[in-house]
Amino acid sequence: MGRVVGIDLGTTYSLIAYLDKETGRPRCIPGPYGETLCPSVVSVDAGGSVVVGEPARRRLLTQPDRTIYSVKRLMGRGVADVQDELKIFPFRIDPESQQVIRVRLGDRLFTPPEISAFILRELKSWAEEFFGDKVDRAVITVPAYFNDAQRQATKDAGRLAGLVVLRLVNEPTAAALAYGLHEKRRGYVAVYDLGGGTFDISILKLISTGEGDIYQVLSTNGDTHLGGDDIDNLLQSFARTEIREQFGLDLGHYPEATQELRKALILAKHELSAAESTTVKFPLPGGAGSAPAGGVYVRKITRAEYEAWIRPIVDRTMGPVKSALADAKLKPGEMDEVVLVGGSTRIPLVQRTVEEYFGRRPHVELNPDEVVALGAAVQANILETGVKDMLLLDVTPLSLGIETMGGVAVKIIPRNSTIPASAQELFTTGVDNQTGIDIHVLQGERELAKDCRSLARFQLKVPPGPAGLARIEVKFLIDANGILQVAARDLHSGEERSVEVQPSYGLSDAEIEGMLEESIEYAEQDFTERQLIEARNEGETILRATEKSLAQAAGDLSVGLDPAERRAIEAAVAALRQAMAGGDYKLIRARIDDLNQATVALAERMMNRALATALQGKRVAEV
Amino acid sequence: MSTTQARVAADPTCWSCGAATGGEHFCPACGKLQPLPRGSDYFALFGLTSKLCLDAAELEKRFHQLSWKLHPDNFVLAGEYERELSLDRASQLNDAYRVLRDPISRVEYLLAREGMRKEGEHKQQAPPELLEEVFELNEWLDELRGARQTSSNGEMTALRGKLEAARKNFEEKLRAVDAELDGVFGQWDAALDAGADDAARKKLMTRMNELLNRRSYIRNLAANVQKELAEA
Repeated sequence: MGRVVGIDLGTTYSLIAYLDKETGRPRCIPGPYGETLCPSVVSVDAGGSVVVGEPARRRLLTQPDRTIYSVKRLMGRGVADVQDELKIFPFRIDPESQQVIRVRLGDRLFTPPEISAFILRELKSWAEEFFGDKVDRAVITVPAYFNDAQRQATKDAGRLAGLVVLRLVNEPTAAALAYGLHEKRRGYVAVYDLGGGTFDISILKLISTGEGDIYQVLSTNGDTHLGGDDIDNLLQSFARTEIREQFGLDLGHYPEATQELRKALILAKHELSAAESTTVKFPLPGGAGSAPAGGVYVRKITRAEYEAWIRPIVDRTMGPVKSALADAKLKPGEMDEVVLVGGSTRIPLVQRTVEEYFGRRPHVELNPDEVVALGAAVQANILETGVKDMLLLDVTPLSLGIETMGGVAVKIIPRNSTIPASAQELFTTGVDNQTGIDIHVLQGERELAKDCRSLARFQLKVPPGPAGLARIEVKFLIDANGILQVAARDLHSGEERSVEVQPSYGLSDAEIEGMLEESIEYAEQDFTERQLIEARNEGETILRATEKSLAQAAGDLSVGLDPAERRAIEAAVAALRQAMAGGDYKLIRARIDDLNQATVALAERMMNRALATALQGKRVAEV
Repeated sequence: MSTTQARVAADPTCWSCGAATGGEHFCPACGKLQPLPRGSDYFALFGLTSKLCLDAAELEKRFHQLSWKLHPDNFVLAGEYERELSLDRASQLNDAYRVLRDPISRVEYLLAREGMRKEGEHKQQAPPELLEEVFELNEWLDELRGARQTSSNGEMTALRGKLEAARKNFEEKLRAVDAELDGVFGQWDAALDAGADDAARKKLMTRMNELLNRRSYIRNLAANVQKELAEA
């Protein structure tokens, strides 16, 4: 068995962490750039190979039609759900998409779980590099307010990335775990988690028992479409309006410039968390429309102005906070601790708003970007070793219901029920010789089925008979991951009835199998891609060295480079350049060898001369 | 979403070692988790008799102790069968705690178990002693809706006042019903202690059922008034 890790699969950034057995503390694993934050960006290039993280983020500017960010917003959602997103995000949704969205990257289509799997696979490779060992199991975090379909999509992504998902843990709960370990805490804890794309609030009760600590979630609430991205979008829309007014320039025609502007504004947002004001300087795409070539949009933003802009966004978090407290039957003043999680809680207005509401200074000791991954690593270690010194009791964020007569949703498992949770319902036939009973499973708080989230539809088969004779008991069970399972039983015969459930917004097992097969092909392609990159890099290095040697030899006749040798080297250089322009890493390697052969004599002579120079004036005994 | 087969205990011997389990969560001989017997009782799960006055702190303590043992986290490394058993056990524990923790769902559960109350039963006809007040209330609600259309402000304010008073009145009544229910809970517990016969128990359960229906009716009224006021 390989290693077990905790993964925070975030909207903007993703992280991977493990529990350091020596210190007993969780730690985030850095990637090749030394950063623990992996931008949740995926890019697929013309050859079909996949780039993830920082290099993919750079491609947002150069290859926006092959690159995707914030894919988490699409997880477990249908085409109709994301119409609002499409106004802001440059997602290229395939118009043929059925229930599961397919996104176009270049000339290929991917489902959101496949794209998330690329991110998970990248993180997995970080950890495997770090351990020098395989990683095959993980705890992955999800926003507490994710519904069944969004959770299932996350689990599917794990499976597609070659990971056994031991548990999906809610992000605020993971954060509480990391904080609880960091410093022993007791009593009522509110975790306020404002990330890039989602907002969660969870109210927990921390209890010490004889056996260990119990982290019992009392209630959770949130908004899966509220986060730092909304602030970025707001700033962007202000700036674009001003640019249009001042320069008559519509940035809508300049996707690259739009991304540059976004970057500049995000930087300004970060600066405004520390400084009282900042100035955005944005060079406009030159010469277009009535914009003067080389025009620059310069805008000073003060903290006060910024806060006035974003206050409505920050205030939107307070609705879920109040609901969560009401569900837990607690008052703001009853919290013993308030914990802030997520990059957007660095914003002073957010901290002030939370502090004023709870009348208590919130905790910010742990890095708000890392704390969720750290908590996931703690839970991963418990599940891996079976050595338990703490227990998480989490809840389902949304009520589970079924549709009844007149399109009314009847709730069978209320929201904030500790999971796993179940409900049994008895079904019968309404007319004689009815052979099936249709069941529509819903999630949500609204009274009408059409206003709730459709989870699945299925039909119970019944033997023909008089109306009302059949007695089929259906058990709905929400597992510890917050994912629904269904089982049915005929009470007359005592027989189990198999239930074929078609998820409304998810992938079927067969579809996942198909994708897994495809992803193995991808793994090979990824390997080829990596070989190609490495070969090209090596080629660049030797080309630079050769150029330098040739220049040096030209200026120093004592090296003795005759015209024939020079021609041979130049021919080898040209051949290598040609190979590097192509995509065959084996050919590049061969040409590198050729060039090495052509330069080996020259290199030796230069080496000797360098050595001779270095040794001048030194006695042999000193060498 | 996935499908599973319901897992049902065939007999009270351990599936692993064959020893008699006596209906315990874990086999006394080999310690393996056991399948859930059908129709197992929520009170018994916590080692409680069917008394209705429960100490919330004690119930929570037992819930935590059982969670520690039964939670699926303990069985991640176990075989598939044991993982499913733990899912059944832990979900039943959570369902039981959710039901018993709240006094109203607790008594509803007891009455349903004893066949004294059909699931989801809501007597929608007004209790006779409330008829007059309900008529008056419905009249005010009609007037309020009418006033909303004609947007006559003065009339609205007066109606709002009346409806606010009605809402307070119903909430007062709700508290009275709760207090009365509490009283019957005490009588029920005493009857259990005294080993009262079926007839005496049935009488108490019938009384509780009536109170629950009355409570549900008043609650709906209060919620309706609240809704209309919010919309006005």
